[in-house]
Amino acid sequence: MSTTTIERIQRRFEGGTVPMLTKRVRQLLSIVLFLGLWSALVRFGVLGFDTFVGPETTLAALLEALSGTAMTEGGETIYEHAAFSAFRVLVAVTIAVLVAIPLGLTIGTSRRWEDALFPALEVFRPVPPVAWVPIALLLLPTFRSGVIFVVFVGAFFPILINTIEGVKTVEAEYVQAAASLGAGSRDIFRHVIVPATLPSIVTGVSLGVGLAWITVVAAEMIAGGVGIGYIIFQAYRLLQTEVIAVGMIAIGFLGYVSAAAVHRTGHYLTRWQETN
Amino acid sequence: MSKHDDPTDDASTAEPAPDTTGKTGAIALDNLNKTYDPEGEHVVAVEDMDLDVAAEEFVALLGPSGCGKSTVLECIAGYLEPTEGEVVVDGTPVTDPDPKRGVVFQENRLFPWKTIKENVEFGPRMHEGVEEGRAESILDEMGLDGFEDAYPSELSGGMQQRAELARLLANDPAIMLMDEPFSALDALTKEIMQKKLLEVWERDNRTVLFITHDVEEAILLADRVAIMTARPGQIKDVIDVDIDRPRDPEVVTTDRFTELRERALSVIREEAERALEQEDGA
Amino acid sequence: MESRRRLVRLGSILAVPVLWFVASRFGLIAGLPTPVEVADAYVAELYRDDFWISTIQSTIRVLASFVVAAAVAVPLGLLIGRYTIFADLTFPALEMLRPIPPIAWIPFTILVLPAAELSIMFITFLGAFFPILLNTVQGARGVEVEYPRAAQSLGANSYQTFRHVIFPGALPAIHAGMIVGMGLAWVNLIAAEMVAGGTGLGFLTWSAYTSGSYPTIIVGVITIGLLGAISSALVRLLGDWQIGWTEPRPN
Repeated sequence: MSTTTIERIQRRFEGGTVPMLTKRVRQLLSIVLFLGLWSALVRFGVLGFDTFVGPETTLAALLEALSGTAMTEGGETIYEHAAFSAFRVLVAVTIAVLVAIPLGLTIGTSRRWEDALFPALEVFRPVPPVAWVPIALLLLPTFRSGVIFVVFVGAFFPILINTIEGVKTVEAEYVQAAASLGAGSRDIFRHVIVPATLPSIVTGVSLGVGLAWITVVAAEMIAGGVGIGYIIFQAYRLLQTEVIAVGMIAIGFLGYVSAAAVHRTGHYLTRWQETN
Repeated sequence: MSKHDDPTDDASTAEPAPDTTGKTGAIALDNLNKTYDPEGEHVVAVEDMDLDVAAEEFVALLGPSGCGKSTVLECIAGYLEPTEGEVVVDGTPVTDPDPKRGVVFQENRLFPWKTIKENVEFGPRMHEGVEEGRAESILDEMGLDGFEDAYPSELSGGMQQRAELARLLANDPAIMLMDEPFSALDALTKEIMQKKLLEVWERDNRTVLFITHDVEEAILLADRVAIMTARPGQIKDVIDVDIDRPRDPEVVTTDRFTELRERALSVIREEAERALEQEDGA
Repeated sequence: MESRRRLVRLGSILAVPVLWFVASRFGLIAGLPTPVEVADAYVAELYRDDFWISTIQSTIRVLASFVVAAAVAVPLGLLIGRYTIFADLTFPALEMLRPIPPIAWIPFTILVLPAAELSIMFITFLGAFFPILLNTVQGARGVEVEYPRAAQSLGANSYQTFRHVIFPGALPAIHAGMIVGMGLAWVNLIAAEMVAGGTGLGFLTWSAYTSGSYPTIIVGVITIGLLGAISSALVRLLGDWQIGWTEPRPN
């Protein structure tokens, strides 16, 4: 796949030598090609694809699941599994936001608090949130709180680190300008530091939400119970491959929707930015 | 100097009421020294600098880049603490930033997350409170009516600079400290801004310390031009600009202007050569 | 002053084991092993081959998956970033797969791929792949059009333009993606090892839980954290070395 070949093709497209498909059609083609590839891999049994389901079967299974049929024999529906996972992510991310943002602003603005707290937090940062699963199950009284704790850890650090980073990169001249206009340190914090840090906080929250989904799926797979992560792995044990595929679609959809929600909110909150 | 109006007389017509704490805005730099030690390297930015700026005077501080002009301004603003000596404003040593000493930055520092109106009302909101309609009238005067609810990023460079000036005026400072405020603007916009600034200054009884590296700009605007030496920064020469006000841009074609410019340039040239030799030596 | 700060920071770190000791010694957190028990378990583990095999295995999995992810994601991202046709034909499908957490792929990979080892590596690969890809795309799109134009006017062909202009221009973004990617590689590796079982530090930690040898859980977690910190530091070092030309932002 040499660059020049692609360049030449691109030129031909642009020059109209090759019939130009509209952007929409090209993008649709991308999805169609993907589905075709998937279908072909299953049909011809490349690697172990013959043990998996193709897009047609998956679509049928997805529609059935959406109609409210239990995903496994006598088990919960897709809506219940989705609700459990989404609830865990929502609670954990909310707590993470409420703890990490004030903590990050404090550490970012006060050298004393930074010295006292940040090194201790840095000790825990390199531990992947999933590694907390056994510790959480061991130490926390209920399974439910254990999973939420682990998801919280997943969302916490990106938000914290980005908030601190955001505070530290606030340009000094904004603070000076505010001080020269008569603002006290409280006003500077509220009118300069917080809004100037907002874009970084938004970045942190969107990273945190992404990690929260990874963590919740992993925790549910490992620890069992209810939830999309659990059902994907349970379906594997029962060799219901179409349920695996439906579960993956469901988690992808939830992840996409939550990312879009964070993006929208963030975009609104930082609408003053030049390019966004 | 060339401000002929009696300030007490002017008070009734001036839009913002002058400060009631008595005659204000006199700046005295008394043996000002500022040194830095970034990574062990000793830099003398300003050395033994003395300068007096009278209340309501317009002084331009002219010098090559890196000569410590901005450091002087930051000491007066209260952002930096002098290593030695002090800055005295109206008899009181400067320790912190104060709304009495307003600052216009080289790149505008309007708060990008606030609308133009919110920016202009920021200062009043921090102390006595916002007076209804005042922001609008100042913005109107600056030719920014209709942009109250715009964010700074939606404005052109010239408009942003006018908005920053409006924000400063709304706060009614006795002293305006301006750090190359127009250096990033195109020639035409720059001329409009210079005119606007002179208008505002001639009306309002404020002291202005205006930093620039543009010789013509300094002479066009100021009562006195103080020329700084290259590092370590000191005042090399002070030129009285005895050209009548109000001045318009055509004044640059007069003989007196040319004379003053030549005088300033010769001082600067001498300085630049000395700086080059210093660099060669180092 | 500077040494005083350093002392406070040291105290901050030391507070972690001290609080841990207090919490476990006086039973404030039921079931938490004491630091002493964990230290004992650590020493014991250091004499077991199994521990070393797990450590080496996890390290190799992360490094290999990360290198493959970077080798695929960077060229792909540069092409997607610069050629709209190519982007339209590939990016939507990738964007459709991106929101699926890598670990959710594991039942699929166990079924489809011939070896469990490959499954775990694929999951780890996915963890690093998307952050690097996305950042590379953004980085390539962020290279101002004047740079490639300047290069072309100086006689560079399109490969040379990519090699000497687009790629270095996108490097800071690529580097940022690699830092995130390395973190996510570890997250997904540990999850995969816990779920798929067999070997590796994730499995060691999880089986310590199921077998009730609680101090060993913490031994596993500490080792994972150390390796994670070291690999992040390596990525940062690589970045500093590669993008030394970027100026610190002027004030």
